[in-house]
Amino acid sequence: MYSYTEFDEAFVRERVAQFRQQVERRIDGALTEDEFKPLRLMNGLYLQLHAYMLRVAIPYGTLNSGQMRQLAYIAERWDKGYGHFTTRQNIQYNWPKLKDVPDMLDALADVGMHAIQTSGNTIRNVTADHFAGAAADEIEDPRPYAELLRQWSTDHPEFQFLPRKFKIAVSGAPNDRAVVKAHDIGLEIVRNDTGEVGFRVLAGGGLGRTPMIGKVIREFLPKDDLLPYCEAIVSVYNLLGRRDNKYKARIKITVHETGLEEFRDRVEARFAQLRPEFGGADQALLAEIKAQFARPPLQASSLAAFESAYTNDPVFRAWTDTNIAEHAEPGHAIVTISLKAHGATPGDATAEQMREMADLAQAYSQDELRISHEQNVILPHVHKSDLPAIHARLKEAGLATANVGLVSDIIACPGMDYCALATARSIPVAQQIATRFDELKLEHDIGPLKIKISGCINACGHHHVGHIGILGLDRAGVENYQITLGGDGSEDTAIGTRTGPGFAYDQIVPAIETVVNTYLDQRESPDETFLQTYKRVGMEPFKAALYPDQEKQRAA
Amino acid sequence: MSRKFTPKVVTANALLEGDVVYLTADDRWTRDHTEAELIEDEAHAQVRLVDASSRADEVVGAYLADAKPGEDGPEPVHFREVFRTRGPSNYAHGKQETV
Amino acid sequence: MRHEPVFDPERDPVQLRVDALNDRYRHHGATAVLERALGDAQVGRIALVSSFGAESVVLLHMVSVMDRDTPVLFIDTQMLFEETLQYQVDVSEQLGLTNVQILRPDPLEVQRRDRFGALHLSDPDACCALRKTETLERALAPYDSWITGRKRFQGGQRTDLEFFENEGDIRIKVNPLAHWAKEDVRDYMVNNRLPRHPLVSQGYPSIGCKPCTSKVGDGEDERAGRWRGRDKDECGIHFLDGKPVRAAPDAQHEEVAETAEGDTTMSERVIVTDDGFAADDWNGALAAPEDEDATAVLLPSDADPEVLRGRLDGLSLVAVEFPSFADGRGFTIARRLRLMGYKGRLRAKGHVIADQYAMARRVGFDEVEIDADLAARQPEDQWRRRSAWQAHDYQSRLRA
Repeated sequence: MYSYTEFDEAFVRERVAQFRQQVERRIDGALTEDEFKPLRLMNGLYLQLHAYMLRVAIPYGTLNSGQMRQLAYIAERWDKGYGHFTTRQNIQYNWPKLKDVPDMLDALADVGMHAIQTSGNTIRNVTADHFAGAAADEIEDPRPYAELLRQWSTDHPEFQFLPRKFKIAVSGAPNDRAVVKAHDIGLEIVRNDTGEVGFRVLAGGGLGRTPMIGKVIREFLPKDDLLPYCEAIVSVYNLLGRRDNKYKARIKITVHETGLEEFRDRVEARFAQLRPEFGGADQALLAEIKAQFARPPLQASSLAAFESAYTNDPVFRAWTDTNIAEHAEPGHAIVTISLKAHGATPGDATAEQMREMADLAQAYSQDELRISHEQNVILPHVHKSDLPAIHARLKEAGLATANVGLVSDIIACPGMDYCALATARSIPVAQQIATRFDELKLEHDIGPLKIKISGCINACGHHHVGHIGILGLDRAGVENYQITLGGDGSEDTAIGTRTGPGFAYDQIVPAIETVVNTYLDQRESPDETFLQTYKRVGMEPFKAALYPDQEKQRAA
Repeated sequence: MSRKFTPKVVTANALLEGDVVYLTADDRWTRDHTEAELIEDEAHAQVRLVDASSRADEVVGAYLADAKPGEDGPEPVHFREVFRTRGPSNYAHGKQETV
Repeated sequence: MRHEPVFDPERDPVQLRVDALNDRYRHHGATAVLERALGDAQVGRIALVSSFGAESVVLLHMVSVMDRDTPVLFIDTQMLFEETLQYQVDVSEQLGLTNVQILRPDPLEVQRRDRFGALHLSDPDACCALRKTETLERALAPYDSWITGRKRFQGGQRTDLEFFENEGDIRIKVNPLAHWAKEDVRDYMVNNRLPRHPLVSQGYPSIGCKPCTSKVGDGEDERAGRWRGRDKDECGIHFLDGKPVRAAPDAQHEEVAETAEGDTTMSERVIVTDDGFAADDWNGALAAPEDEDATAVLLPSDADPEVLRGRLDGLSLVAVEFPSFADGRGFTIARRLRLMGYKGRLRAKGHVIADQYAMARRVGFDEVEIDADLAARQPEDQWRRRSAWQAHDYQSRLRA
């Protein structure tokens, strides 16, 4: 894992000191709110519906136990004893006071963390596959590149006032767990025909009001060219991106309006100018970073304890069947700790839970934790023989929910319970859906099914790529929820299709139940997943079940 | 030209605390919606909004929100404003904590 | 439920649907196009946007006959004629329209950007954006398409108008009256005994907001009275069609800008360098970038620095404009100039704040020019704090 150099440390301290002054200058009037707002946003501070909100970056979703304990401490000291893990590998505190924020940032700096560029029209927290460095299917660990990008994008003087926010994701495996195609720049580590490892570069992906799948702008980019190439893309976008309409300001619209060919030509021309700027210092730094990410040596040992528990304890078995993924090292496993207990707020963890997860990471997972964009926490390097002990402790802490990838493992944005931009609530919808399917005891029978809920068109809940997507809107002063089906956030990225008219707040959960029941009726066997069934039978059976009156009319 | 005007309250977030506040008839900021000034006249509403927005050292993002008269004072109309008088629905945090 | 779309926005992009619709309805008349638009699944959820202006009643009447529940969106910019507001009420009632939605600009934005209602004097584009375009943009969010009353005979950018247009790949714009002549409009109104806008008889054939509409003389283009005396003929609502065309507000309304700049605070400029504040020692003029003989130029934020290629050695000062501190194009422009080999004096001019000083220096600016107001609000010490811009710089570690 990467630990801060003296340079990083000094940089972050300096930024906190600057922000402390900016807060003072806002309070004494030297800065107007208009001027202060982008500055506070650059440091992760929003003003939300009921309070300020501080968004802290967890770069590429990786943190150690000390950092997790500090997040718990901050939650207790300056917030209400919990934090919310987001779909972009950040953690949000919902109740900070303006004057406390510089102290919170100092506390983060104490453990090599910050809230820089978690908001604003700048390059945001770089995200990566949450199984990076552990997954069996990986070509190369994407995190050293993500860290290099973090350093390059942090305080980049050209890119602090872009037309709109800018998100970069990196994946190192053919199975995409980072939704790279829905990012402004998506980087996929690939091997070319000669066996050389480099990047396939995508640009212009994004969800929100106008969902678009990223387009390949460079089929194969040598690894050394990463920074100048990314800089060329963002630099072209900075001049070309629209500033007259914020709904058309993202790079996806720029690429779309300019045309991929023209955009690519401009990027390649800029790249040719910028390439000589990077004479190897970046690669030397990358080598140092890479050394820090080398996988810790893992011990082989007996699997007897695991096998015995697996055979004898059905609860443990159910949990391992859903929450364990294959590790690159034999005998090891990747554990996903679900933050989706039925009826709880997706992605929330209390300070006690954070400490427990930190302790488990220290004892069993090489001191490492990951945060997934699906709002769960991961212990990446666990020996299987430790799984029974881990499971027992998670049960104690209320963290042993066996539902990863199932119907109740719902992604949800904070929605109108917190967010100033939201048009409807998301959290209670997620809570009710999870509770309902838990009552029905159908969850495991239903199998893999990703429900994603956004409380407004900005799509922080990734509803476009949910197998079932739910979008909450304000229709004439009433909450209304649209359903989309068939979205996919994997390497086969697809945007879901809307079923038809939306549903009222008290009708959305029954409607989801109807969709799921329709799937159960339609599937050819229990092995056919929701998404497979949808692809086979299409929208019609779901529409017919959701809108029976309309069907009757059509028949008449 | 007569158009029906929906009564309004002036609301904002407090600069230091960030919580929801409303402008009273005697120019205080209150945390309690029922103490807000219910503004029935459009021109007056604009004036009050200008007043409120000039108090940048106290509040952020003042705006006019629809409201209606109630037994104990003005009540919100839109569900968003109802949530702002209470707090989130997943925890008893925010204003509902103290009620 | 009405007209729920069956298209998939991903597989059926707007352009494809627009092409198909134009093919399908090429030989149809206005009412057929409108009728089909109201029911065609490829058109999706649709609203009529009406200004309740001189000719609006035609479409309002057609819609009221076909489906009086169709959403009708009326933008009250709060700058309209009283007559228009009254006409809106009367016509809606007479035609029995059940779903007329009156939309007004966001009051907070108005308060912020046009507190005194005078923005139309200094920057009519910004006024249209604030009061009309943004309001409409918000109102249209739930719709897949909208109906407008635009016609080819209105000229300007409208001479090759189609029935269906792709609006920025986001929505379809339906123009049922595209092929109508002026006589058709008049005949339709007479034949159907439709009420006329009261201002038409007073010499306003095209009616917009009060401050920006004047009467037109006989023989003048009907829209000549809109934004008279200004290099502007579209309000932004209709400005985005097909390939989006962008307004260039900086190039317009020069006479207005000149009078506004006459006041004294603007002339007291402060130059900020690492040493702090100083008076401007540059006494010469700044020329437009196109001026080949100039030794000092002012680059607007939307300029392409390539325009200066080949004559960088002859320039002793390049100033790059920052219209707003939130517009970061100037930072990229500066860096590109340096990469192109410009070695002379490079100045960031306009709304740059102290917190951006290090960014400005790091991309290659030598100095920042601010006005006296900003200098008073953000005094020298706040800028000096950022004068050690070489420290804590990630870029300098990565580029070597």
